[in-house]
Amino acid sequence: MKAYQADIAKFDATDTQVFGMSVDSVPANREFAKQLGVTFPILSDFKRTVVKDYGVFNEEQGFGNRATFVIDKDGIIQHIDEGNEAIDPTKVADTCNVLMHKKAAATP
Amino acid sequence: MYTRSLICLVLLAVFSVVALGQQAPPKTNLKVGDKAPDFTLRATDGKTYKLSDFRGKKNVVLAIYVLAFTGG
Repeated sequence: MKAYQADIAKFDATDTQVFGMSVDSVPANREFAKQLGVTFPILSDFKRTVVKDYGVFNEEQGFGNRATFVIDKDGIIQHIDEGNEAIDPTKVADTCNVLMHKKAAATP
Repeated sequence: MYTRSLICLVLLAVFSVVALGQQAPPKTNLKVGDKAPDFTLRATDGKTYKLSDFRGKKNVVLAIYVLAFTGG
């Protein structure tokens, strides 16, 4: 999340809303955000329904994975980073850039 | 000779147990091109966000850390 924070201006420039998400409570996430200096909102999936929808949580093992999804303006997933790949936001930022230019090309 | 075989067997058994203990992290069933599952969740800023509210307005990057306090 720190890496995303460092690149937050880049994401703002590509018309992108960045969210963190965890299964911790809102107060726990606030503490976490404070420690890391994260300014973007961190969503609290306390009931663990969304992490299951996104397939990043294994209920039996109570074990989760790190993953980043890029969702375009049509609500379609355009890029997925999983596991250690998800630490580096470069590919995600590139995707957002491409999406912005795609949109720019479509509007004369 | 027997001792060496025995050591090999024991080592093999130990490694197998270690390998079984390390469960692979869950892989997402979603693919690029899929519709993103909608959600409505509360965030650290006190607001409640709905993914579909961003439709036609902004791209959304969703960085999921199931166990947030693992850093990164």
